[in-house]
Amino acid sequence: MSGEFTNLVIVGGGTAGWLSACILAARRPELAITLIEAPDIPTVGVGEGSWPTLRETLAVIGIDETEFLTECDASFKQGSRFDGWVDGSERDCYYHPFSAPLSGSMPDILTAWKMQNDGQPYAEAVSPQAAICNRDLAPRQRTMPPFAGALNYGYHLDAGKFGALLASHGVKRLGVRHVHGKVTGTERSVDGLFTRLLLDNGSAIEGDFFIDCTGMASKLIGEELEIGWVDRSDVSFNDRALAVQVPVVPDSAIASQTIGTAHRAGWLWDIGLPTRRGVGCVYSSGFLSDDEAQAILMNYIGSRIAGAEQTALTPRGLKFSTGYRDKFWAGNCLAIGLSAGFIEPLEASAIVLIELSLKALADGYPQSRAALPRLADRFNSLFRYRWERIVDFLKLHYVLSTRTEPYWQAHRDPATIPSSLAAHLDLWRDHAPSSGDFPQIDEIFSAASHQYVLYGMRFPQPADISSAPSSEVQRQFAKVAERSRALSAALPSNRAYFDALCSSMDKNSARGVPTRQ
Amino acid sequence: MTSHEVLNTADHAELRVRTEAGTALGDAVMAALVVPQEFRQVQAHYPIVFRRDAENGEFSALALFGFENGENLFLGEDAWDARYIPLSISVRPFLIGRSRDEGGEAQVHIDMDHPRIAIGEEGTRVFDEHGQATPLLDDMSEKLGLLHAGYETSKHFFEALARYDLLEPFVFEVPLSNRSKQSLVGFHMINEDKLRSLDADALGALQADGYLMPIFMAVASLSNLTELVVRKNAKEDRG
Repeated sequence: MSGEFTNLVIVGGGTAGWLSACILAARRPELAITLIEAPDIPTVGVGEGSWPTLRETLAVIGIDETEFLTECDASFKQGSRFDGWVDGSERDCYYHPFSAPLSGSMPDILTAWKMQNDGQPYAEAVSPQAAICNRDLAPRQRTMPPFAGALNYGYHLDAGKFGALLASHGVKRLGVRHVHGKVTGTERSVDGLFTRLLLDNGSAIEGDFFIDCTGMASKLIGEELEIGWVDRSDVSFNDRALAVQVPVVPDSAIASQTIGTAHRAGWLWDIGLPTRRGVGCVYSSGFLSDDEAQAILMNYIGSRIAGAEQTALTPRGLKFSTGYRDKFWAGNCLAIGLSAGFIEPLEASAIVLIELSLKALADGYPQSRAALPRLADRFNSLFRYRWERIVDFLKLHYVLSTRTEPYWQAHRDPATIPSSLAAHLDLWRDHAPSSGDFPQIDEIFSAASHQYVLYGMRFPQPADISSAPSSEVQRQFAKVAERSRALSAALPSNRAYFDALCSSMDKNSARGVPTRQ
Repeated sequence: MTSHEVLNTADHAELRVRTEAGTALGDAVMAALVVPQEFRQVQAHYPIVFRRDAENGEFSALALFGFENGENLFLGEDAWDARYIPLSISVRPFLIGRSRDEGGEAQVHIDMDHPRIAIGEEGTRVFDEHGQATPLLDDMSEKLGLLHAGYETSKHFFEALARYDLLEPFVFEVPLSNRSKQSLVGFHMINEDKLRSLDADALGALQADGYLMPIFMAVASLSNLTELVVRKNAKEDRG
């Protein structure tokens, strides 16, 4: 097969760039792939939580799970926990776990849940995963086959190390050509397609198809092609973040979930890796000063992380605007990663959007010029839809809150709520979120995710509930409780898992067993 | 070496056992004891043969996993390649014990020197943090109970087989594809001629005691010898 676009050039050496190189090299071996990395551009490195999709991605690329876990200082992520989002009180906490809830009709499930007299939170009642997260347990045993788990899981990872692993894997095993240089100019054909990129060292790189992974700089899609920006800061107010890495004591517990804690004008993320906690304060500059944000961050670290030396920490500030490109694919150029758009990492959508973009591109990689506009149109409408679903889903976390600070009240102003979300909320008073509300294939957030947030945040029960739950659903509820008990007994703590993994790796290298490069 | 202890929440509160399969976990065995109550499940995968104890002359039933000591042809990399695992294998490292008092009740004991006793913090807990039995222990207790009842049944089952002289020694020449010879000796099987010639009274008596079905299950199980040879040849071919 020799299409017209076999010479693929990727600009940017962050997570998006290297994931693009590796996935396309694995999925489209007929392509000749070149990645251009500017040496002096630091990567943003805050995309440190993945979805379960990353397991399949790693398997497709051919990176061994153990190698990934140890090289990237990674740990398991089984979902998110939201603290203080409903009313900010002491016990205000709910889970959005990765495992699907028990099966059954929603009217039945909601009735059975309501009838439980112990007031168990929704996520705990419909899935064993929250109970496992509460105990800081791993989703799998080491003896299970790679990428398999007793519960659904993704990862928390060190983005810098992940980029380095992908780069080394892409170059050594997948034949990606790695060029160091800064793009200073472009050449285009008469019909507007890129043909060559000019580098600061005087050389030029020719290509047939170009992927813009230059981050917020948006070198090709923004600077060169001047594609417009769809601003969504009217819905999503946060525009700043302060991020810091806090070392942890060796035998401290490693959380199984990203913890998002609401504060008076935004929220804090907390991601536990074996050696450190990545903590960040996300806020809206219209409601909070940088100094106030820093105080909130330090107060959180002081109260939540034992032994943290606050004076040794220097948080890094990030400014961002929320929105996405009017077109992600224009001509023979596709934007992937932060060049395509940005939204706060509340549901860790950054890496999965990269994965979905590459899946769409690899599934429908152009072979002829004639197909380009149609493929671009299809991609653009699909990803506009996906971005809007993300905007809606993140907004849902704010509109269901009853917090009274001005920031939170502003979030509930109907003028800031997208009409699609308002329509869904009306619908969900009638019946629980269902797949009928999210009809696309590969919907980014399923009906189950919406249910976890809705009922985690105490949204009223819909009109459509059954008078008495079926005996089958009651059996399922009993099974969830039984599975919680069985898994609690059988799964190791995250800390025990990673300690054992490290010591088995040390033993292997001491014995002279070749370690993976 | 074995070191049996009465299982209790005080000594074993933090105990974890390993539930996966593996050579290092004591799974590389050629055969395991089976009881008549499980013959139906056992015959779905394994040949059932009988062996007489040289010292006391008593018979026991065995499921065969291989043709020589230490050979388990059902043991994969880290899993057992069959849907049913005999009770005597799956209860390890637990066993049935008796309290010291005469005629005491059967108790759950544990072999603390068994390789299935987990070292470190991986493995399945036996008691939860409140000292309650975990689902693993519930399952083990149930299986130990079945096994205990099975041992009782076995005695009478073999008395009945002896009464009708239904067991005969057999030698099985293993037809290996590489033409080397291997024989399976020292085991007994059901004598089908004698079984076929039993009269209605004898059959009625065996049926009344519930022994007739296990006898036929044991007969049927021998077709698994062919399957075992296939596994053996596949292993030899792999080197």
